[in-house]
Amino acid sequence: MVKVYSIHNCPWCDKVKKYLKSKNVEFAEHNIEDNSADADACYKLTGDTAVPVITADDKEYVLGFDKAKLDVLLGL
Amino acid sequence: MATDKKHLHKDIVIIGAGMAGLTAALYAGRMNLDVLVLENGIVGGQIANATGIENYPGFAKISGKELIGALQEQAERFGAAIDEFDTIESVTLKAAPKIVETEEHVYEADVVIIASGMNRRKLPLPEEAKFAGKGVHYCELCDGHMYQDKAIAVMGGGNAAVDAANFLTKYAKKLYLIHRSEFRADEVSQKRLRENPKAEILLQTEITALRGDKRMERVEILDKKTGAKREIAIDGLFVNIGVVPNTELFKKELALADGGRIVAGEDCRTDIPGVFAAGDVREKEIRQLTTAAADGTTAALLAEQYLVKLKEGHQEW
Repeated sequence: MVKVYSIHNCPWCDKVKKYLKSKNVEFAEHNIEDNSADADACYKLTGDTAVPVITADDKEYVLGFDKAKLDVLLGL
Repeated sequence: MATDKKHLHKDIVIIGAGMAGLTAALYAGRMNLDVLVLENGIVGGQIANATGIENYPGFAKISGKELIGALQEQAERFGAAIDEFDTIESVTLKAAPKIVETEEHVYEADVVIIASGMNRRKLPLPEEAKFAGKGVHYCELCDGHMYQDKAIAVMGGGNAAVDAANFLTKYAKKLYLIHRSEFRADEVSQKRLRENPKAEILLQTEITALRGDKRMERVEILDKKTGAKREIAIDGLFVNIGVVPNTELFKKELALADGGRIVAGEDCRTDIPGVFAAGDVREKEIRQLTTAAADGTTAALLAEQYLVKLKEGHQEW
């Protein structure tokens, strides 16, 4: 399952989620404002203090809305 | 030009879905024109990141997300189509019809309204690339939360910077506002920041270097009055030092002013018939949400007049 690390008020997170929906990609949203374990996992994955972060395998990830990279990551 | 792309004709293609572009789309939609809005970034543009807008008439305070969301819905209700995923690759404005080529389509349009707005200026220091996302940020809404109880700095002295600083005080243990000259922000926002006990304002101060190992940990600052340099511990730096016009796609065909904005009068007409420039991307003295909405209105109404004459065989401009 694709994971999207996000926060509540984040236009780029909204854009990523909208894009995944437009491509019929199922994903689970992990809101790092609501869940500190998700926040830790997100930071551990990227070392970055930024969202959105998208991953399919908890190893490779895309930070931000980058359509070309997302298409490669998710095989779209 | 790729042959497998779908070719479509539109009365108007609007480039950019900020306040100017969406207002033009609303007016064009209400005039029953076939209008498409293309957005390479986020719908709303710069305003999507605004946490509290207090100078848009009719609203005591509204977030950028709410204001733009309502405007987008309004434009779509009157028939405007908005595509934020089909990236624009090239634009040919002097052709008739005009050509806007995206990843998936070749759009032919009788009118193009350019409302592509501005992008935030990047921090002009060599360490920027190393620390981008690792201490250096450009989206307070997206990334501010990561700095709960940390030391945050905002670089810049305009309205956007001071509003960002006010917003970030809700996370910060300590908030520095660092600006190389004097404030340009309005008095209300300045006063709010000055009265916040977490805030320390360093004017006439330049950030000269960023330090850290894997993440940014400190910034070196220069007091321009005394010439003294020192380092302060900062976990997150939010850069808000102005904007650059988003005109890369048009610079070969359109006249640009010194700062890179498109030359067009208050009627938004550029020097190419059928091409309008609206909002912050147009060279003008005052760039506010209200003037962007006004430009969008003007461009759409004059575009409709142009289209009527064009269909009658007169290309008057």
